[in-house]
Amino acid sequence: MAETLRIEQLSKTFPGQRALVDVDLTVEAGQVHALVGQNGSGKSTLIKVLAGYHQPDPGASAWVNGAPLTLGDGLAAAASGIRFVHQDLGLVGSVSTVENLALTNGYRTGPGRRIKWRDEVKAAREAMHSLGLGDVDVKVPVASLPPAQRTAVAIARALVGWENGASLLVLDEPTATMPGSDVVRLFEVIHQLKAKGVSILYVSHHLDEVFELADTVTVLRDARKVASQDVKELDHDALIELIVGRALETTSASAASSAGSPVVRLRGLSGGNVHGIDLEVRPGEVVGVAGITGSGREHLLGLIAGQLPSLAGTVEIEGRNIKNYDPPDALDAGCAFVPAERAIRGVVPDMSVRENLTLCDVGANFEGGRLRRKNEVDETGEWISMLSIRTAGTEAPISSLSGGNQQKVLFGKSLRLMPRVLLLDEPTQGIDVGAKAQIHDLVDRAAGDRVAVLVSSTDTDELVRLCHRIVVLVGGRISTELTGSDITTDRIERNQLQTSRRTT
Amino acid sequence: MIRRLRLDKYSALYLWAIFMVFFGITKRSTFLSLASFKLVFIEAVFTAVLALAFLVPLSTGTFDLSIGTMMSMSLVVSAYLAKHHVVNPVIGMFIALAACAVAGAISGFFVVKLRVNSFIATLGMSQIITAFIIHTSPQSINSPFTEAFQNIGKRQLLGIPLFMYYLAALALILWYVFEYTPMGRYMFATGGNPEAARLAGVRTDRLVFGSLVTSAVIAGFAGTIYSWRIGNYAQSVGPGYLFAAIAAVFFGASQLKGRPNVWGTLIALYALAWGIKGLQLTFSGAQNWIEPLFTGLSLLAAVSLASRAGIIKIPKRSKPADVATTTAADAPATASGSAAELVP
Repeated sequence: MAETLRIEQLSKTFPGQRALVDVDLTVEAGQVHALVGQNGSGKSTLIKVLAGYHQPDPGASAWVNGAPLTLGDGLAAAASGIRFVHQDLGLVGSVSTVENLALTNGYRTGPGRRIKWRDEVKAAREAMHSLGLGDVDVKVPVASLPPAQRTAVAIARALVGWENGASLLVLDEPTATMPGSDVVRLFEVIHQLKAKGVSILYVSHHLDEVFELADTVTVLRDARKVASQDVKELDHDALIELIVGRALETTSASAASSAGSPVVRLRGLSGGNVHGIDLEVRPGEVVGVAGITGSGREHLLGLIAGQLPSLAGTVEIEGRNIKNYDPPDALDAGCAFVPAERAIRGVVPDMSVRENLTLCDVGANFEGGRLRRKNEVDETGEWISMLSIRTAGTEAPISSLSGGNQQKVLFGKSLRLMPRVLLLDEPTQGIDVGAKAQIHDLVDRAAGDRVAVLVSSTDTDELVRLCHRIVVLVGGRISTELTGSDITTDRIERNQLQTSRRTT
Repeated sequence: MIRRLRLDKYSALYLWAIFMVFFGITKRSTFLSLASFKLVFIEAVFTAVLALAFLVPLSTGTFDLSIGTMMSMSLVVSAYLAKHHVVNPVIGMFIALAACAVAGAISGFFVVKLRVNSFIATLGMSQIITAFIIHTSPQSINSPFTEAFQNIGKRQLLGIPLFMYYLAALALILWYVFEYTPMGRYMFATGGNPEAARLAGVRTDRLVFGSLVTSAVIAGFAGTIYSWRIGNYAQSVGPGYLFAAIAAVFFGASQLKGRPNVWGTLIALYALAWGIKGLQLTFSGAQNWIEPLFTGLSLLAAVSLASRAGIIKIPKRSKPADVATTTAADAPATASGSAAELVP
């Protein structure tokens, strides 16, 4: 059988870390080839090298349809006919399907550069029809389309000019943020493509999708290829075994020191990707929230803190019901929140370290009818030394600090309130190892001071390091609860992937 | 040497000093007289009050383009009530200010509850007010106000009319609120990053709503000062001051602190006013085009200097994220988070 893509000896080294080590990959023509692996296993690095975003280490070689391909060159990849649909799709939401297709591929114009709209509309309808979605309204803004159709538009855009030599379609986690009914519709689109002989490289976390769609699967673990075989030869457990391997078993450092009645009580909490969660957290207890993206892990803490509106259920802090979608009320009840995505939701970039650190309670330094700037400076200085924040001073703009130090400021901002509950959403996302260790120590200390802590993280090692108890979310619900010596990266990761067992 | 002058932060002060020296030499007799001092400061009073009105919502990242017509509305309501002896002019003044507050609250409702961009909401509101004014009022109303009423603002203390003291008081109050109260801090946080401010417990919606009501009332007060100082009503009064006021605020935002601030606004405003006065004295007869040309050039120059130095941050108001956008934004961040960390 002909090979659409062949990669040999692909390595990629980042400073201090090898992201890919001697990876081989072969995609046969007309097949759906799944690429799976844990976070950090090298999947996204491989896709980014293929797309030309990263340069590979010397020594790698690749062929497309038998012709050599220079890896790390985006134009060469495009010229050889490799097309990408990234997770965020890259569509312009405010304009229609017709225009999204034309934006990348050029408008058909008549005399005087007039756009031939009728031809454009017809071509867009045909493109969508060929994906089995002839009923999509190509004239409405794509933002108003359901997720599966949006993805189909992105696929259609990637495939325009397919006859002119496109060869491989790369779908990077297309279902990560998609509700179940849409996933089914997207599968129909992919089956259509497969029937037409399109070769597809399909990256996913969801193992049931692999079994549903793929002919062959390649598994990456710790930057290496551990298997590449026919899907029919595998079952669910065997695939999980391949993905997780014999993971390093780090156990929780501290034993649960929690006692007393729960500070946090969630009852039937729903909203976003969360569908009915009951959970209690006691003082001094650190509870981890694990789950793949789309499982509800990414929304649970936001629902508690009022970042996101809940649809049902209650949040109780020390016996008091927190109002829905109301951050000030959660803060009043003693519930401090360090949100994920520091740059978007955490810092006020044009304010100083002092102004950011004191933002949750500026009034603490309001005495005798005015804000005492000197008190603010002194207080901020204390936090800077206590948290060893590296900054030019209290008045430096927070945007001048490194990510790790910004995060420490945000920790200080929360800890300063002496909260009863601390909600940490991806607390060490995108920060360096040293700052990470310091932040972990801060969490330990907070728990030692009998603060109830909830940590949501995609970093399994981090959860193992921090937590006394871990709840694993699958499909918006708690599927497993791990405590004590059961808390291992291996168990967390196995349980995160249990999707299909429960739903099929 | 040039760097130490901090042209980025103090350009308006230098500009002001240069004007005083230059026109002081070329037009000594007229430019540096006590009379022209008073004239320049007093003539700019309407623009100054409107600039302060614009400043309040801008601190929360909200634009209020209706301040010019708010001034107009306040003036026509109080002039009408005074002309027809409906109520005492003082009560009429408060009724006018209340009408502005109501109009500001309507803008606020559109911005906060219906999530309409403030630029658009207040533009729409200004057109509706204009229609109301044209429909209900005559072209002009001549001297409707009693002397006693006008004296509330016009009477002089130490040779300076009282309304200048009111302007100073307004500036002091706003400065105090912005710099010395938690509320001021919360307003700037809302302007800097509305979602981060909301998650930090700031009632961002209330602040935006309140700032639009406040700016409407302050703009209405500019109308009140007009009724004291000029005493006549004309349909054209009000909107003409809008752009000069906005220019002063943005010019002023480049001064001193690198964000919209009271003293920067007033310094920028008066530096421009003096420059315009000097040019008008120099080119007598060609006065009309000088003001807009000069305002435009100075605004561009000052903001360019500050932008290049990375000082100025004109706030943008973005929509609070809902669940759908969170999901979309969350996923790539987690996927690329590790990569971003690794790339040197």
